Amino acid sequence: MLTVKELESGYGPMQVLWKPSLQVKKGTITALLGPNGVGKSTFLSTVFGSVEPWGGTIHYVGEDVTNLPTHKKVEMGVALVPEGKHLFPNMNVYENLAMGAYVKKALEHKDESMEIVYSLFPRLKERQKQLAGSLSGGEQQMVTIARALMTKPKLMMLDEPSQGLAPVLVQSVFETIQKMRDEIGLTILLVEQNADAALNAAGYVYIMHEGLIKAEGKPEKIKGSSEIREAYLGI
Amino acid sequence: MFLEQLTGNLIQGIVLGAVYGMATMGLSLIFGVLKVVNVGHGAFIMVGAFVTLWLFNALGINPILAVPVAFAVGMGLGFIFYYTTMQRLIKAPELATLLATFSIGILLEELVKLTFGSEFRGYNWVVGKIDIGVTVLPMSKLYACIGSVIIALLLYLWFNKTRAGSAVRSVVEDSEGARVCGVNVGGAYALSFALGIGLTVASGVLLTMFIPVGINPYMGGGYTLKAFVIAVLGGLSSPYGAFFGGLAFGLIENGSYTLFALIPGVEPFALTRFLSFVMLLAILLIKPTGLLSTK
Repeated sequence: MLTVKELESGYGPMQVLWKPSLQVKKGTITALLGPNGVGKSTFLSTVFGSVEPWGGTIHYVGEDVTNLPTHKKVEMGVALVPEGKHLFPNMNVYENLAMGAYVKKALEHKDESMEIVYSLFPRLKERQKQLAGSLSGGEQQMVTIARALMTKPKLMMLDEPSQGLAPVLVQSVFETIQKMRDEIGLTILLVEQNADAALNAAGYVYIMHEGLIKAEGKPEKIKGSSEIREAYLGI
Repeated sequence: MFLEQLTGNLIQGIVLGAVYGMATMGLSLIFGVLKVVNVGHGAFIMVGAFVTLWLFNALGINPILAVPVAFAVGMGLGFIFYYTTMQRLIKAPELATLLATFSIGILLEELVKLTFGSEFRGYNWVVGKIDIGVTVLPMSKLYACIGSVIIALLLYLWFNKTRAGSAVRSVVEDSEGARVCGVNVGGAYALSFALGIGLTVASGVLLTMFIPVGINPYMGGGYTLKAFVIAVLGGLSSPYGAFFGGLAFGLIENGSYTLFALIPGVEPFALTRFLSFVMLLAILLIKPTGLLSTK
């Protein structure tokens, strides 16, 4: 579904990505792991288009989308759950979700998506009139994921969804991610520092270090290799 | 007698304040969305004044009809300046956008001077006046006030009831969040800048309906200063805040005029200007986020 080849990008004069390649198969959960500051978030931002690619190619559902602007990608069904939430703090929960159905294709399915979202996150239905800025951290993360669902995606990319959450909530976020694949049929690309949780949920894993892919394979293989675990994951 | 005079002046103040408010909405809109302070604000008001003057004197077109024309001219200028200049500077340090808008202001002033000359001009639109007992209001001022209120309402509806309006609101709240919702953030910046300039140029028409004389290429400076005071009063980043800030400013300017006139040996008009800036300083000291803002 998503094929990234030798991607290069960075900020100003500083190159962050040094030609990592990665593939995400339809209907799977793929995780990109590695410590802080190795380029994982830059990788997602470059695939999404909020950071401009310098080189390499990005193919999505068979089409070359390397230089496509973000709003075109959202329309094609690529969603990003950004790091740091980026909700609209002075809009209520309902308005935040409604903004998710901004692109034309998503707008046509707005009511239907809203029902899916509320069945996945019943708590948000109770809180729909509350301002997003006044929610707890866990609830805000729910809204961020729910808002991405409202864009009617086929591929959802999540940037550190467990960051800053209590262990109980981390577990429920990963359960939600698995539900989205099983019940809604989404394909998922996940960036995580929390390697343990991600290794349990993912079907395929890439390890990134210094802007490069250092290892890849099924989670059993990664878990089985003490060399990889010690060198890159610290577990 | 005194009360009657004060009431009359305050009514004049509301009428003027609505126009002041409308003339500041563009500044606040651009600041709210792009975080750019348009130092060339007054020059765009001046362009609106010249559009009115030219339409009236050369073609005999009614100043009311000049409002949409000026708005369209402003939108056009806004898009041109956005794509040629501002787009590259959005992520640059603040000084870059300050210098850019300052230069755009000078550029406009000199272009108008080259075309029309630098002498003071005016036009004479005879529409009569209305006596409301405590004071006499020229119809042109009343039209300017009504026009301002209508434009403010239209902007409010556009923001809250249209898809493009919701896109701009989401960019104001969190541009990264807007991007992941599929909003074309660059497009929203361009549209907001153009809309802000459109409103400002249109407000130039309304301001000449108030004072149809003294139109010249350098007339904008005073309006820039007043707009800053009003924007700070209203909370800087909200166009509606700016509108109510304008009302407050009009009331204070006119109300204080009556009061200052009671002090013997004082020239009240000069003091009202002094008061505006005392107010600006006081607000910045006490509540720098703006007197009418909720934050």
